[in-house]
Amino acid sequence: MNIHFERHLNILDFTLSSLLRRKGKNFSLLTMYLLVIFMLASLVFFVTALKREAAILLRDAPDMVVQRLVAGRQDLVPAQYAESIASIRGVNGVRPRLWGYYYDGLNGANYTIVADDYMASSPESAVIGNGLARSRSMVVGDLLPLISYDKAPLMLQIRSILPGESDLMAADLIVITSEDFRTLFKFPAGLATDLAVDVGNPKELATVASKIAQQFPDSRPILKSEILRTYQAIFDWRGGMVVIILASALLSFIIFAWDKATGLSAEERKEIGILKSIGWSTSDVLLLKFWEGVVISLTAFLLGVVLAYGHVFFLSAPIFAQALKGWSVIYPDFRLSPNVDGYQLAVLFFLTVVPYTAATVIPCWRAATTDPDSAMRS
Amino acid sequence: MYRIIIILVLACAMTVTGAHAAGKGGNPVPLNAKCPVCGMFVAKYPDWTATASFKDGTTHYFDGPKDLLTYYLDPTRYARGRRQADIASMTVKEYYSLGMIDPRGAFFVLGSDVYGPMGSELIPFKTQKDAMAFKIDHKGKRIIRFNEITSQLIKTLN
Repeated sequence: MNIHFERHLNILDFTLSSLLRRKGKNFSLLTMYLLVIFMLASLVFFVTALKREAAILLRDAPDMVVQRLVAGRQDLVPAQYAESIASIRGVNGVRPRLWGYYYDGLNGANYTIVADDYMASSPESAVIGNGLARSRSMVVGDLLPLISYDKAPLMLQIRSILPGESDLMAADLIVITSEDFRTLFKFPAGLATDLAVDVGNPKELATVASKIAQQFPDSRPILKSEILRTYQAIFDWRGGMVVIILASALLSFIIFAWDKATGLSAEERKEIGILKSIGWSTSDVLLLKFWEGVVISLTAFLLGVVLAYGHVFFLSAPIFAQALKGWSVIYPDFRLSPNVDGYQLAVLFFLTVVPYTAATVIPCWRAATTDPDSAMRS
Repeated sequence: MYRIIIILVLACAMTVTGAHAAGKGGNPVPLNAKCPVCGMFVAKYPDWTATASFKDGTTHYFDGPKDLLTYYLDPTRYARGRRQADIASMTVKEYYSLGMIDPRGAFFVLGSDVYGPMGSELIPFKTQKDAMAFKIDHKGKRIIRFNEITSQLIKTLN
């Protein structure tokens, strides 16, 4: 046991010094390798974290949302829809919701206005998103003036600012009371933007949705699972776009690495010959090459993953953020909650470290089995 | 499109949570509880949990009303020394509300297109009206009461 361990240590020692002897070449290889792993790991971390964030937010979403369509466009829902839907068997409750967008000429941004009497408890007060507070440099207690549709200013006192963690979804949000909402948009009484339907048994969702569609042919029920699917598809699609862009970089790396790893230079062949002639066995040479592959690929892998972690979770992935987030109004300054999936890391590991190590060992095995004399002469 | 979705999500996250917790609560099933009839882990199917509590305080968990009834009709076969008379209370999950109800007062629909973890099920309802509505929506064959259920009938479900 001890002897074996020492043998490995000695060979590793030799490997490191032999790698250092060809500093330039190995360092450039390591940098390339590191860059590719960094990009791939960043992408994996980022897309997974975004999906996870979306899933967490959707966990508390209503089971179903019912919209009304007029000529295929979304329209306001009359309140009596809510009553008839609530009487459908299996429906626990129906909540009419009020929400919309407000264009602010001052900074050219669109705000999302949501009416919630529970959060904005008193009239002429508002709870605003972190991104909005940042862009208008507002603090709790300030007044946020909005111009209503009858041109009268609506002065909203900021009661609180939503925490930064919710920024991905709530950066440009303003929560006001439903009364203020109706004043601001001259929103007709007895109508709602849409209906949130809570269904007791998830198995009954499809039945309830089909009953709603039958009863109100102008309605469109949207299930939570459909929303979730849309989200996953959007992030997968965006992730896919970046993968395609990265693919060319990845391919050129593969060609480079393959070329480097498989083709033994005359110098290396000579080195193997010398090692064999001074008494190294074939297995020692293989071990040397194995450690060489492991040192390079494992260093690149670990460093790449650590850098990607910092890039995604501490710096919020500035490299792909524009391509992947795609929010166009007030940019959310969010920080993704760190979460690493062991399975994905393992996939990345087996796609990079293992093939590279194998690719370095196999050609050496061929060289190492040849006669040292002919190896040195060639 | 997803812009809209985001708002929907946000607005709801605020209020619906409370309602949900109240409706779907009830006592949680221990993670290692196995159904005495089929041997499956019960906690995996929270919408189907049925229980039988004995006078000595122990509770058995089942993954569906069918297994509870199978057990109820012949307890000694599945747990030695247990008798039907020792059962103090039973619960099944009502289909529409997922609330716990006593199966002895429930209406069961047979032969519907809703399947539980153990296949064909006896779907429990609090009121006859609910049971009839469900029977129409889900192509049920019959509505029966608790005391009409026999081992013979359960066998036809399996």
